[in-house]
Amino acid sequence: MTTNTKNPPIDRIDGRMKVTGGAQYFADFELPNTAYCVIVGSEIAKGTIAGLDTKKAQGAPGVLGVFTHQNMPPIPGWDAPVGGEADGPPPRPKGEQYRILSSPKIHFDGQPIAIVVADSFERATYAASLVKATYTKQTARTDLRKHVSDGVAPRGEDGGNYSRGQADGYKTAPVTLEANYTVPIEVHNPMELHGILAHWTGASTLMIYAKTQGVNATQQAMAEAFKIDPKNIHVHTEFMGGGFGMGLRTWPQETAVVAIARKIGRPLKLVVNRSQMFTLVGHRPYTVQTINMGADQTGKLIGIAHAATAETASYEDFTEATVNMTKFLYACPNVSTRYRIVRLDRSVPIWMRGPGEATGAFALESAMDEMAHKLNLDPIEFRLRNYTETDPERNRPYSSKYLKEAYQRGAEAIGWNNRKLQPGSTREGDWLVGYGMSTGTFNAFRWEASARALLKADGSLTIQSAVTDIGPGTGTALTMIAHNVLGVPMNRIKVEYGDTSLPKAPTQGGSAIVSAVGSAVFDACTSVKNELIELALKAGGPLAGRQANELTMADGTLSVEREPGKKVAVSDLMQANKLTVIDKTKDSKGGPEHAKYSMYSFSVHFVQVRVNPLTGVVRVSKAVSVADSGRIVSPKTAASQMIGGVAGGIGMALTEEAVIDHRFGRFVNNNLGDYHVAVYADVPAIETIMIDKPDPIINPMGAKGMGEIALIGFAAAVANAVFNATGQRVRDLPITPDKLLRAV
Amino acid sequence: MDQHEQLGDELGSSDSSRRTFLKRSSALAALALTPPVAKAAVDQGLHEKVATAFEQMPLQVNINGTMRQLSIEPRVTLLDLLREQLHLTGTKKGCDHGQCGACTVHVDGTRVNACLTLAMTTEGATVTTIEGLTNGDPATAQLHPMQEAFIKHDGFQCGYCTPGQIMSAVACIREGHANSPDEVREYMSGNICRCGAYANIVDAIMDVKKGGARV
Amino acid sequence: MNPFQFTRVTTPKAAISAITKERGTYFLAGGTNLIDLMKREVIIPERLVDINKLPLATIEKTATGLRIGATAKNSTVADNELVKKHFPLLSQALNAGASAQLRNMATVGGNMMQRTRCPYFYDTSMPCNKRSPVQAGVDKGQANGPSGCGAIGGHNRMHAIFGASGKCIAVHPSDMCIALVALDATVNVSGPKGDRTIPFIDFHRLPGDLPQKDNTLQPGELIMWVDLPTNRFADNSHYLKVRDRASYAFALVSVGVGLDIKRNTIQDVRLAMGGVAHKPWRLTAAEEFLKGKPATEANFKQAAALAMQGAKGYGENDFKLTLAPNTIVNALKTATKTA
Repeated sequence: MTTNTKNPPIDRIDGRMKVTGGAQYFADFELPNTAYCVIVGSEIAKGTIAGLDTKKAQGAPGVLGVFTHQNMPPIPGWDAPVGGEADGPPPRPKGEQYRILSSPKIHFDGQPIAIVVADSFERATYAASLVKATYTKQTARTDLRKHVSDGVAPRGEDGGNYSRGQADGYKTAPVTLEANYTVPIEVHNPMELHGILAHWTGASTLMIYAKTQGVNATQQAMAEAFKIDPKNIHVHTEFMGGGFGMGLRTWPQETAVVAIARKIGRPLKLVVNRSQMFTLVGHRPYTVQTINMGADQTGKLIGIAHAATAETASYEDFTEATVNMTKFLYACPNVSTRYRIVRLDRSVPIWMRGPGEATGAFALESAMDEMAHKLNLDPIEFRLRNYTETDPERNRPYSSKYLKEAYQRGAEAIGWNNRKLQPGSTREGDWLVGYGMSTGTFNAFRWEASARALLKADGSLTIQSAVTDIGPGTGTALTMIAHNVLGVPMNRIKVEYGDTSLPKAPTQGGSAIVSAVGSAVFDACTSVKNELIELALKAGGPLAGRQANELTMADGTLSVEREPGKKVAVSDLMQANKLTVIDKTKDSKGGPEHAKYSMYSFSVHFVQVRVNPLTGVVRVSKAVSVADSGRIVSPKTAASQMIGGVAGGIGMALTEEAVIDHRFGRFVNNNLGDYHVAVYADVPAIETIMIDKPDPIINPMGAKGMGEIALIGFAAAVANAVFNATGQRVRDLPITPDKLLRAV
Repeated sequence: MDQHEQLGDELGSSDSSRRTFLKRSSALAALALTPPVAKAAVDQGLHEKVATAFEQMPLQVNINGTMRQLSIEPRVTLLDLLREQLHLTGTKKGCDHGQCGACTVHVDGTRVNACLTLAMTTEGATVTTIEGLTNGDPATAQLHPMQEAFIKHDGFQCGYCTPGQIMSAVACIREGHANSPDEVREYMSGNICRCGAYANIVDAIMDVKKGGARV
Repeated sequence: MNPFQFTRVTTPKAAISAITKERGTYFLAGGTNLIDLMKREVIIPERLVDINKLPLATIEKTATGLRIGATAKNSTVADNELVKKHFPLLSQALNAGASAQLRNMATVGGNMMQRTRCPYFYDTSMPCNKRSPVQAGVDKGQANGPSGCGAIGGHNRMHAIFGASGKCIAVHPSDMCIALVALDATVNVSGPKGDRTIPFIDFHRLPGDLPQKDNTLQPGELIMWVDLPTNRFADNSHYLKVRDRASYAFALVSVGVGLDIKRNTIQDVRLAMGGVAHKPWRLTAAEEFLKGKPATEANFKQAAALAMQGAKGYGENDFKLTLAPNTIVNALKTATKTA
């Protein structure tokens, strides 16, 4: 394989299964005698269960059991740390621990107080409605805005504290800016509902169909919880109906269902309802941020101070990298950042697409636009004046960075030269028109992963890895990588994934999977190729006397590059050596050179908006997203990730906010009718541009991730465009009509 | 004729649950005055199987070309009937409240949300699900032009909303609401795709529409 | 959902008889709201009477206009050629509501009967007088969860600015009904005491002390059809809906307008507003002001100001005091093509 050539667009390998309904998600598996369970949630956010009446539920038709803190079956590993995340620092409980159905204490609204099991979904649902609880209520703290001053550094971490240059250096600048930004609670809301199908196939053997972004992580978590050998736990998630981060950990109710399945001796299925998606599987935390920025009259940044305060649960410290990009995105001598959390009576957050960086980018990239306006500079020009070719945080080179080119190509595509510097100066009929842009960036990781390649004498190739594909097209990208190494036609390659019987892989997240698992596939295929070359070159072999570097592989044939006709079919070579299969498994991770470079993906988002000044309605009328994420392995599915980021970004910018009535500590819009994710009519035609230049350091494909950068920064681009259209700066997301009308 | 059957006739009903049950067990007739019936039956300490029979009603419906004679509880939605009883799991549950479109199927040729459709209301109707759009094994069957177009334009990522999107897209063209990208955006807005494949799906639908293939 | 009994009827008489016989009996038409409410345990019926097979799904010309059957589907009405030609406002309003799938299910009668989308009504742990009325003996079987009004002093961004009471500030969510009230429709209902005709404007009611009652139907009454009188508004009508996303969302504010204009003078006009009251809100003062006047933006603004008399915000929805008149002006400009 060479990283010098661009890859062709290919159809998604699992497309047929997805368009026919043949793709099986966890809840689609049919196991004989399956029972159904339904979670009853707390109606208060803080307090104690005073009374729990389960008698009626127990007597309802078809009910097999009602499980509460009074009769929950034991979980042997109850005292072991929760988690089992296979990668990165897991969000392990550091404070007061929450254990599902273990005590009458209520830590958050919607906390499970009972799990009702019956022989049909309808009967379990009805019986659940018959469970009645009374509570001793305590005052719940659920409003971050009222408790920002309670912010503390996360236990055991530095709280994102960082400083270079002069403390508060921004104050010395001739032009300064101070602004506060709010990102509300957002909810992942993948279309597939969370749940699990658990089946004890023996006394200590377990089959699990999960909604997880990592089957190995679920396997490990269950092994710890039930103190059984991970080898005896089989987890399957070939198809996952979207995750966006909510499947990055094993949630307590999954463990509870497994315990109850063991107790009742039947396969047990949980599919939570949409409202429970707001309380049981995490969310993007409510975060308030302050940016102080100073620049000189020439448009050079003098200093930035970025402070963020985010909510977490009372029982667990959740953290994310909200302030990180401020440290390295621009050349700026004086930078300080601070990150605080406030422990509220809320369920714990979890990383949501673009995680903290998406939150942080809204603040930083809005502030950059505000400063550009103060300086009377074009926002791109302002960014270029503070462009950096080396990482100012760690004083080392970037492994690759083509951000300048991204600015330029995006600007051309959106028609940036139509943008007027003076806000509110372009009108089409009743509508004001504006343009905005912003930058996004995210770490380019390469985690450890393993993969297996099996080349058969008939010329077919099977690739195996336990990795789950939550939607980006992992299997398709792995097909391309294997094809590029071994030259096997793509229709002869089969990729098997999403199952713990396959070689271990990290959880799908952090935009890292092509880099991590792709490298393992590359290595395994390379190992197969090396064996073939060895066989061909060995004494008596068909290409004996040649050198390995003279050979190429394509279409099932090994040939000498400069000698047409001098070649051997792989199948003949294998047969001659009495091989039916060449089977290689490789473990792969980054080398020491990684420590010498800063590795990031970059994106630039451009939008044109139309704003109706009478109604406050904002429409994104054009969007261009540019990705600088190394060599693009699978251009077609990569483009889909980018347009998906635009749709998610439009939601983040204009419509998404989970609203709590703090008098009750409960959501008032915990459904898809009232929590507005973007629909078709909100999303225009989108142009995606891939810089598509390989990163020479990160991995053999030269590929960096793009799932996060597709979203990071987009909301700021919209806010900046709204400002350009109207002269109104909205710093609290989402930008709904009422906010623009109030600002008039 | 006892008073309950008379009531049934007055209601113009040919198959009320009450009558069905009475045929099975006239001994329970007195109970029938106290709905909800199943709860009442259990309160009276009756055997659960009796309660089950009491709850169930006959339903005859054509699903993907096969006439089905079923016996179901009236509260069963078409979505749960398809998925949990008939194991036609291509139709997905995304919200269960008519707010996402993942459960879109055709009933007598029009697209509806199966989650808000009581299965009992499909008596005598023809239901088509994603499994009915192709014939046979999903791995090998001849695909519908809309399915082909979704693959060609990569009109999905995770694939979960896809069956609902495709059923909706086919109906959108049949209804005559696919005359421009903007019209498609409006008439497809009842199908949420959290992965955000909208732009590609609009391309797929316009492609099929322009191609003129019979959908 | 709770277990319930299920009955199919084929005649209005049987339907009325069925709903009169037992408490806790509900008509089931499209089910798009009722099934939703049942899943949320807001409504716990003991019997559903399936009225989808009633012969009430027709749309036909009458001597005075158009008659639309109660079980005609929203999409059928919206796409009907007569409706599109003579009552485009109705077609536009219908298409502004819900989704294509829901419009294929929902009926005219069901659309009229849909309940508010106030979140406090839907969450049985939150206070709501509409769901759990305080009056003893009134719809007791429906009482479900605490009484009170969660929206007053709570999240009321979507709520009423006209005609609310201390008991309830919810709004009626329909788009179709805004068009019907603007177009002077009448509703024919049939009940145990016979048939009667209700002017559409009187079909829905303000909450007052009985927020549990959305409309003026008497017990046992079945909506049979809606009559639309002919008008001269087809050339100058517009339904403008302002919402949080571009489709598939309830109105923050919506305005339905139809005008009869000759030589740039407004001969006659109908104006109604949605998302602002417990019922479709007819803007009669604004209509009276505009009659006989030229179609100018200045006149539209004055009319809008008149329409806003008596409006009151409850905090989060104060922006509607600005949005509503702006939307009236916008809708009038679009309908008269004076933009």
